[in-house]
Amino acid sequence: MTIRKWIERIEGEASVQFEFEKNHVSFATIAFPHSRGMEAILQSKPAMDALVITPRVCGICGHSHLFAAVRAIESVYANCGAPVEISQKAESIRELTLTLELIQNHLKWLYLVIYPELSHLLQEKIADSCRLKGAYAASLATKILAIFAGQWPHSSYMIPGGVTCDPTHVDSIRAEGLLDELIRWFEKELIGITLDEYSHFSSDKAFLTVTGDMEKIEKMLKKAKMHEQGFSYDRYLAMGEHAFSKSSKWVNRRMAKVHSKFVTLEEPYSIGEKTYAKNALYQHNSFETGPLARAMIKGVPFIKQMYRQYQDSTYTRVMARSYEAALLLEHCKKLLHSINLEEPSYIKPLKKITALSGEGIGIVEAPRGSLIHSVILKNGIIDHYRLITPTQWNLSCGSPKTPGPAQKAMIGADSIETATFTFRSFDVCSVCTTH
Amino acid sequence: MKSRPKLLWLQGVTCNGNTHSFLNYPHLSYILETFEFLYHPLLPATYTLEEIASCTQQCDILIFEGAYDPRMMRAGARMETLVQHYGSSATTIIAAGSCASFGGMFKQSDPEYITGLGFDREIAKGPFAKSPKLINLSGCPIHPEWLGYTLRMIADNKVILIDEMHRPKELYAYLAHHGCTRNEYFEWKVDADQFGTKEGCLFYKQGCRGPMTHASCNKILWNDVSSKTRTGSPCFGCTEPDFPRTNMFETKTNMSIPQDVPLGISKRSYLTLTGIAKSFRIPRLEKRLIDDNT
Ligand code: SF4
Ligand code: SF4
Repeated sequence: MTIRKWIERIEGEASVQFEFEKNHVSFATIAFPHSRGMEAILQSKPAMDALVITPRVCGICGHSHLFAAVRAIESVYANCGAPVEISQKAESIRELTLTLELIQNHLKWLYLVIYPELSHLLQEKIADSCRLKGAYAASLATKILAIFAGQWPHSSYMIPGGVTCDPTHVDSIRAEGLLDELIRWFEKELIGITLDEYSHFSSDKAFLTVTGDMEKIEKMLKKAKMHEQGFSYDRYLAMGEHAFSKSSKWVNRRMAKVHSKFVTLEEPYSIGEKTYAKNALYQHNSFETGPLARAMIKGVPFIKQMYRQYQDSTYTRVMARSYEAALLLEHCKKLLHSINLEEPSYIKPLKKITALSGEGIGIVEAPRGSLIHSVILKNGIIDHYRLITPTQWNLSCGSPKTPGPAQKAMIGADSIETATFTFRSFDVCSVCTTH
Repeated sequence: MKSRPKLLWLQGVTCNGNTHSFLNYPHLSYILETFEFLYHPLLPATYTLEEIASCTQQCDILIFEGAYDPRMMRAGARMETLVQHYGSSATTIIAAGSCASFGGMFKQSDPEYITGLGFDREIAKGPFAKSPKLINLSGCPIHPEWLGYTLRMIADNKVILIDEMHRPKELYAYLAHHGCTRNEYFEWKVDADQFGTKEGCLFYKQGCRGPMTHASCNKILWNDVSSKTRTGSPCFGCTEPDFPRTNMFETKTNMSIPQDVPLGISKRSYLTLTGIAKSFRIPRLEKRLIDDNT
């Protein structure tokens, strides 16, 4: 029996066709019906325009696209023998605003998607106002981001050579104040203990001290038996280099180096339904990317402990993303303190961008995982632009023999509802997947 | 409880940036209490998209995000049908963002078919061309306060004055230039010779469109805290029908004179004033704002 379902609230929609055998999902295909042709829009534009166009790939992670685009252009400079110099200050500010984008994403996902979906699944009502909590907390994160980037969404403040802003201590103090407010909110509403205690958890027993919404969400996850399903390949990939994430892959409990030359795009499997999403594979294999992958590779004690018990279940995946928000808040705090405002924001590249011909690649860790922009410039004009988004890894649609990570995770689910929840545990973004 | 006006948030060809921008609105709970959301891509709503796609409901306010492509399918329904159905019952149609207003970024996806709801760039075209119900809240993305203002005006039964591009005057009579912290540098023609400084105006080299762009970004700050020009980025003119332009980080000049001059000012008066302003050397404006002044 095949049942088709529109899944929404995933930054657009996906059409998922579930195949059932003996009352369990035996296979599912994922199709994304819309595409905007971002790569074609970028074609023949001046390189700098990519900094305005690519954030518009996605309303929720546009800042990550901006970061990937600027890294891609800077890598063209480097490959042309004219590497761009960037101050530590500019590096830190970029990393700070990226981190804040991840935080707003995770908190919105938790309150606007996960919590209501769990309540729906278990028929336990939660108040509408509860969902707004996520929007409120996210808006605090984006406020801090906007102090440096001017606005969120759709800032273009990262440019080759640094950032456009020139903040004073008035700005950084304001940012610190808002970050304190966000952390207080996090402690009061979400975890009921201090962020410091929470982010230093080393065993899952410590979780018993957690109260607040996180306690409820965790209980609901267990009640919905999410720790017993949603297993995927147990293969993880993180390719962006950041202080909060290490570039590596994790296969068969071993870490190994990664290189972008092993990344390929392949045609999706389809059963007569149009989909615009190409599958992203590493050495022709499916990999899970995102917060769980980052935690496995970085070796986050609390998540590793959880993994030992529940492997890569939906439970672990959801917990890893929620927990990452806490780690990133800590990271923001450190970054804000470390920024030396005396350094330059921008160091003008020595070579004119219009004299630039060559290739470049920019990789960052976006909220949903590794994001890759590659570009070929001819005299500063975009000759070719390729985007590989995190959801192209996680939501890739393979055949019954080679299902993608989310497809594999849904196999065995006892209902469309639980399978859909597992699907959402990957934090699906339709607009990024097809772009 | 008195029945609340029914609001439907529909998406065309979009990045969801307007949805996410509006989630930053500080008074969301007021909006949720005042209006019934028949559908919204993220906020709690009465119906699912599939139910909306069956066109059995009617709404009072249609908020449309994204560019309009009549052929697009949303949960099995054709966009043309959806927009006709919900647009005809609605008393107000709000184009949220520049794509919905003028085609914006995603008109480029398929320029032949894609437009805004009532404009194709600056030409009146689209399913609600010349409709008195249409309000354009252009901007890429929409500013949360601009939409908040519009919804509250509607809830309070107040008249919203609009300009010839259907944008509320109270929001778009201003230019992005108004309230920019670099105004004095603009007056005395002191340019920012490079990015990354708080000093200097971005009009002469970095491509700033502030003086030609109807937007209140430097009056009603973004995320309550800042704006592009305050953080050293040029205004890209994202609220105007010609957004996105090309070469957005550079000022187009003819013989080192900016090709476009501030809105409504003749090139001659602009050049006369520039000539005079430039003839003075003002050390205070040439120094760094903080570091050099002892
Ligand atoms: S930077 Fe732009 S908005 Fe600011 S004063 Fe100069 S022209 Fe006006
Ligand atoms: S400053 Fe200009 S480009 Fe930026 S949001 Fe305002 S109108 Fe748009």
